[in-house]
Amino acid sequence: MSVTPKPAGGVGMDWMSMGIGILIMIAIIGAVYIWFPPASGLMGFLDPSNIFMALIAIIVGGALIGIGVHFVPVGGAPAAMGQAPGIATGVAMLAGGAGLAGLFGGAWAAAIEPDPGIWVVCMAGAVGGALMMAITCMFVNVIYVYAMGIPAASGKAKVDPITGDTQTEYKSQGTEGHGLPFISFVGGVVGGFLGGLGGTLIYYVLLEWVYVDRLLSDALGAPAVANVTPIAVSLAGMFAIGLFLVNAVLAAYNITGTIEGPHDPKFARWPRAVVATAVASAVCGIVAIGIVAV
Amino acid sequence: MVENIVLGIGLTAMAGALATVAGAAEDTESDIGSQGDPNSQVQLAPQMGYVHRIFNKAIAGEPPAYGLWVALGAGITGALLAMGINVILALIIGTVLTTLVQGVYATTAYLGRIASLAKFGQPVYVDILKSMTTVTMAHAFIAIFTTVAMCYLMNAALGHPFPLALLGVVWGIALGAAGSATGNPFYGKERQYQNQKFGAGVPVAASGNIVRYAEAGERNSLDNGWFTSKMGGPASGICFGLIVFLELWRTVVFEEISVWGPIIVGLAFVIAFAAMDRYIETWARKTYGPYVKEVSA
Repeated sequence: MSVTPKPAGGVGMDWMSMGIGILIMIAIIGAVYIWFPPASGLMGFLDPSNIFMALIAIIVGGALIGIGVHFVPVGGAPAAMGQAPGIATGVAMLAGGAGLAGLFGGAWAAAIEPDPGIWVVCMAGAVGGALMMAITCMFVNVIYVYAMGIPAASGKAKVDPITGDTQTEYKSQGTEGHGLPFISFVGGVVGGFLGGLGGTLIYYVLLEWVYVDRLLSDALGAPAVANVTPIAVSLAGMFAIGLFLVNAVLAAYNITGTIEGPHDPKFARWPRAVVATAVASAVCGIVAIGIVAV
Repeated sequence: MVENIVLGIGLTAMAGALATVAGAAEDTESDIGSQGDPNSQVQLAPQMGYVHRIFNKAIAGEPPAYGLWVALGAGITGALLAMGINVILALIIGTVLTTLVQGVYATTAYLGRIASLAKFGQPVYVDILKSMTTVTMAHAFIAIFTTVAMCYLMNAALGHPFPLALLGVVWGIALGAAGSATGNPFYGKERQYQNQKFGAGVPVAASGNIVRYAEAGERNSLDNGWFTSKMGGPASGICFGLIVFLELWRTVVFEEISVWGPIIVGLAFVIAFAAMDRYIETWARKTYGPYVKEVSA
């Protein structure tokens, strides 16, 4: 008996379930539009700080996390034995680690006074995630090369699409490859970037567009901003982490096991994950908004 | 402003040092408990007829498990601080209580995982349970204490807006991710499959045939902890220490100049690490050479 093969999923779309998912998402978006109508006119509609736009931003953030997870090269248990390329841990866990490190940076930037704006906060989160993945991916190769004497080799591509290095002859016998070829390193960094970006976007809109305003204006006896901010930060942080994990796990199920990065044939499954994470984010988003807005 | 930056850099260095110790202790703890991906081989071996005395407490991956423990430690510490208890005492009590939870987790996980292998003739060794659990608890204590202390520095001294428990979740998961990514291959390939060729991956056909005998008698997980603490542990520590240090340092120093400062410096670091990674990759290709000659199409 050898390693049990993982269940294989195709790259095709299941239109029936996609349709049902998209219908649920549209229903939620419609409900929020009716429930919290944006101000009249085009400018009112595009005004970022309304709850309807917050839900849209949460959906976009969730989809960014879903795509980002597909970039992260994860080899799971076979990678821990040098049997397959990638980082030797789980997809959702690694994406979670990188995205949350990004969220840490983004949340710190969001605390700057005066508010530095959504672009600075989101980029701070994205770069935080990318930096975490860059360091981790480099150390994977440090361990493989300097501690185990094994060069990096891809199992899915004959030639590294970025560097043009041939891969096949660097695979040791009886394995699918090992370590992180440069394309996988780049995939990891891009994955961390998108994950950090999505997670921080969700955090920022929940904090600045939903929680602070709602907690200030609601039936809490007109509290001061200083009293409300810690509660809003905690709530937004909890929901951002929760949404991050929901989307990372959903995308991990789409990947089924391991992926080498953007050159892996499994990468072509990302459109499915975008639809699934967008629907899940809409469902989770209405709960995150409803907890203070009702 | 300068005093603030100098103090910030000092705190950043302290947090980086704590993170380095945390990473090293975390990886050693997970290797003794086979918490990372190599647990699949520990579990597979008896099914292939290789009965062993390796500890296995993997019922969750390292990142979620450490997310739980560090968040728990940080939460208890935060609650004690809110009661007005001294910081050091709060940190120690929080970590001790969390370590007890980790001990319960390790015990039940080992019994559950190994008992499931009964039909393959794998016994539950009570002496292994007694001797390994306490050692993983000791390492977990160090990892949790240092991470919670680091989170406390970020929250109280560096002014991060997240409350202590939330920082615990974030950095606990990141600690587990960095430790498992860096440390797992060294434990899985280099220790469990020490009988395979050095400088090559484990052939799929060898799966399950882990090394079960030590210099004297049967190998147990303390031997594995001793081995991985020489390379996998320190490398995981440096990895996590670098993540924490650079994340804090670029913000503390460059945020004073411009809000875009930390972002630009972060991007520069990403490019620098990409260059280093590429150097390591090409160095390995040149130094070790291919396994087989290139087949021309």
